[in-house]
Amino acid sequence: MLNNLKNSDFSRAKIVLMKSIRFSLTVLLLLTLQVSSFAQAPTADFMNSMGKMYVVVAVILAIFVGIILFLVFLDRRLTKIENQINDHG
Amino acid sequence: MDKLIRQNWWKALGVGIMVYVFTVGMLVPLKPGITTVAPGAARTGTDVTLDITGYNTHFLEAEDSVRFWLKLDNERALSARAVQVLGNNAVKVTFAFPEYLPVGEKVQPFSILMDNAVDGAIIRPDAVYVTQDSINPALGEAAWDNAPIADLHTHVGMTFPFRNILGETIRNTYYHVSLWLAMMLIFIAAMVYSVRYLRTFDSRNDHWAAALTTVGVLLGWLGMVTGAIWAKFTWGAFWSWDIKQFTTLIALLIYMAYFVLRRAFPDEAQQARVSAVYNVFAFVALIPLIYVLPRLTDSLHPGNGGNPAFGSDDLDNTMRMVFYPAVIGWTLIGGWIASLLYRTARVEESQWDGYETGSQNKSTN
Repeated sequence: MLNNLKNSDFSRAKIVLMKSIRFSLTVLLLLTLQVSSFAQAPTADFMNSMGKMYVVVAVILAIFVGIILFLVFLDRRLTKIENQINDHG
Repeated sequence: MDKLIRQNWWKALGVGIMVYVFTVGMLVPLKPGITTVAPGAARTGTDVTLDITGYNTHFLEAEDSVRFWLKLDNERALSARAVQVLGNNAVKVTFAFPEYLPVGEKVQPFSILMDNAVDGAIIRPDAVYVTQDSINPALGEAAWDNAPIADLHTHVGMTFPFRNILGETIRNTYYHVSLWLAMMLIFIAAMVYSVRYLRTFDSRNDHWAAALTTVGVLLGWLGMVTGAIWAKFTWGAFWSWDIKQFTTLIALLIYMAYFVLRRAFPDEAQQARVSAVYNVFAFVALIPLIYVLPRLTDSLHPGNGGNPAFGSDDLDNTMRMVFYPAVIGWTLIGGWIASLLYRTARVEESQWDGYETGSQNKSTN
């Protein structure tokens, strides 16, 4: 009984740790994206050069970031179910 | 459907189509065009040298065959007196204006017509505004019909149309406009599943409706963000309260309220029923908001203010070869994402059921 309790406590702590690691990684990723987009600070001249080709690049990048954010959301939702299954299955 | 979502061919098809859309959509060059003509105004009776910049043009390669005209129509045109090619995209063109214009107006805009053997014929409408001091159309016609526009070349090769403000961003047709059409198809599917739920009260239909609506909202927001970026560099601002921007924002907010509504009901059957009805109403609101209202008034978006959405000027046959696959590709990818959400919801539901029936197991753990 006592052993069981300790085990489940340990696994729960592990889950919390993994969750926090994943969360901080996500925040880091988002911050990097933000910083890199601000650091380069694409000027209007840059965006209008090459026949405004970089506008197309920015649009494709926006779609990519949007889909990645959606994957993060789905990942968290699945993690929640997995944890439920681990806890109660 | 439950069999189809475990098959992979349509997901692979969606990915393959999108690979085609990204490669062909990015690699096909733009048709040669004229970006700037300076100065944009001139007076009759003077010699004027115009600095003309081309885009994707080959003035140097086709130096022997470069010809320029100032053109009102095929009869009333003035050929350039001298053409000095500076580079593939830069040329100096000198026109000797006669004393009179072939029109009864004081100021008349003329188009620049360029022709060479490599790029074919390019026209820049209303490039130069010419002012005359006194009006005499008869004398003007005699002076301006000296330039037969004949033996024009045609550009060979697959190209996308050149539009002066758009430039390369015409490619965003495949990465912005197609998102909205895919969103529309996904919302239609969501509405169908909501109706099916109301006929069967099968929770699977409700899960499909919710999953598809989620994907539709995702595509809608992607369309919003991509549209804002495109607008910044063509219309000048990320958001300019254009009628279509405004109505699509409202439509998306209506659809987001769907999820708020879902969470408001703790009882699953009630939640499914109310949200199914709401989804049908949201779809009914979507059609006038996106397709009817923007056409009733002026809009920055092409195809609004009374015009059909896909005029031949906005979407030529080469663009269709990428645009329609893009719509199908985004729809298939959206369906794939929706199927993942659906399966997640099914697992969540079975887990919830198992949790309730197996609650006595919980205490032993």
